[in-house]
Amino acid sequence: MTSSLPGFLFAIPFFAAIAIPVAGFTNQKLCRPVALGALVLLSIVSVIGLSEAVSHGPLSHEFGGWAPPIGIEWVIDGLSGILMVAISIVSLIALVQAGPLVKKELSGRLIPFYSLSLLLIAALGGMVLAGDLFNLFVFLEIGSLASYVLVGVTGGRSLLSAFRYLILGTIGASLYLLGVGYFYAATGTLNMVDMAQQLPGLLDSRAILTGLLFIVLGLSIKMGLFPLHGWLPDAYTYAPNSTTPLLASVVTKVPLYAFVRIAFWVFGMDAVSVQIPVLVVLGWIGAVAAIVGAYLAIWQENFKRMLAYSSVSSMGLFVLGFSLGTETGFAGGLFYVLADTLMKAALFGVAGAAVYQCGANTVADLVRLRRNMPWVSAALLVSALSMVGIPPTAGFFGKWYLVVGALEAEKYFAVATILVTSMLTALYFFRMFQHMWAEEPRPLTEPRVLETPFPIRMSLGILTFGIMALGLGSDFVVGLIFESVIPEGF
Amino acid sequence: MADILLYRPHFVAFIILFLLGMYIMVVCLNLVKKLIGMYIMQTSIILFFITLAVKEEGTIPILMPSALALPPEAYANPLPHVLMLTAIVVGVSTLGVSLAMVIALYRKYNTLEEDQILEKMQ
Repeated sequence: MTSSLPGFLFAIPFFAAIAIPVAGFTNQKLCRPVALGALVLLSIVSVIGLSEAVSHGPLSHEFGGWAPPIGIEWVIDGLSGILMVAISIVSLIALVQAGPLVKKELSGRLIPFYSLSLLLIAALGGMVLAGDLFNLFVFLEIGSLASYVLVGVTGGRSLLSAFRYLILGTIGASLYLLGVGYFYAATGTLNMVDMAQQLPGLLDSRAILTGLLFIVLGLSIKMGLFPLHGWLPDAYTYAPNSTTPLLASVVTKVPLYAFVRIAFWVFGMDAVSVQIPVLVVLGWIGAVAAIVGAYLAIWQENFKRMLAYSSVSSMGLFVLGFSLGTETGFAGGLFYVLADTLMKAALFGVAGAAVYQCGANTVADLVRLRRNMPWVSAALLVSALSMVGIPPTAGFFGKWYLVVGALEAEKYFAVATILVTSMLTALYFFRMFQHMWAEEPRPLTEPRVLETPFPIRMSLGILTFGIMALGLGSDFVVGLIFESVIPEGF
Repeated sequence: MADILLYRPHFVAFIILFLLGMYIMVVCLNLVKKLIGMYIMQTSIILFFITLAVKEEGTIPILMPSALALPPEAYANPLPHVLMLTAIVVGVSTLGVSLAMVIALYRKYNTLEEDQILEKMQ
């Protein structure tokens, strides 16, 4: 069904990103209302888009009246609709939370912060909607450029980590572009649907094999999959606290989406699991990533760095889930991606709040939260339990479906990996709880700090509520995934 | 191997440029040299795409009102050129952002060598 909704989903944040400097030029106070208003509108439109796509089938928009495969096509189907809803809502909450932090950390540089954040969200939306491999590359780079600047905006150490992120990210994007070139040379098309029709006859071609290798490598760098995660810990640790919830929750998930789209929709299940067994290799890499990431997280003193390694570990679990090759595994992987966007936004939000109110950078410093910030501590408790996988949080159901999917596929190493990863995750979060609750409180002479400002408390509360609600409503979400996302060939 | 050199010399040139660029990016400690490597690597990909479009005795893909239209095989493929125009724009904006970062780092640490910057951070 043709519809202009996909165009709107990109246009709302993009034009807001342009409008913010114009509005902020006269009055800086206008930036925040414009940005938040655009994101509220985007959330509403993406929910409408998802419900339309679920009830009436995929919505597509052809640019300039040229029908695909010649013209450029944007599509909302089940998968892109769900991710679009997740991106818009989580980034809205992340920007609400960023308000007080931007004033303090970025010394009131509101215009670049809000403008770049919306540009990043627009590019992520563009990647999710693109029905064309080259378009996806362009949005990948727009989004990456915005996130390099958001990481490095405070200067000094964060700038060097942003520079390293830029170098590695550019290598990743170049490899992706090279892979697209190989695909184009072999098939003569860039449209995903058209390429999916041509590929089955070409799977023996060495060009396709090499191109797929380059694309998987390039996207793995962008999504921070171990062992190509080199940029991620530094970038997350030194990035300003106002941007880490947004970066950590959505930016690495969208390259993962691109991989899933190419593997299961362009190539198809049969091609990537039997003819070119990428999924087998990625399953092992994902398993190693999950365990090594969680193991490294145990040894980190800095709270944000610990969470960064936890992101590396989660990325391994997603890849493992998608590579299981069963419907339940796929649904579990996608559900865990959704749960992780909420959990990472909440955890990095807590990290930001801890630094904002009492300068707590390390895991041991978190003891200060207990006495002074009950709300933030509660949010930290719920999201950490969800990361470990305690019912009834969203994290538990994500891992549950992953384990069921692994059992269905009879891949016992995957079951073992998920359980071991959960145990290691429990180890580093319980170490944190030990610091927070089991240690003797520090002497009361230490200056008492107040609870965090209202926007931070409110968004952490919403995220915590969301983690519980996603867990309790997991039947509905997984049912939706089964009904309208699972690709053909399972 | 000899076949490739004989019939596909442009692929060999592309591979050499790509690896050279990547090598410079990974090995050099000077930040500006890293960017030079990055630009060489991006350019090599542009060359790769452009060589895909070439046809022997193909002409430029412009339909002149005065001349008769040739069969489609007689024109060089315009699509890779258009794609690479976009890729050049992407590459230039990446270079712009990265140079701005290098300037900010130089102002703060007064050096362009990565190891010296790391030393000064301690």
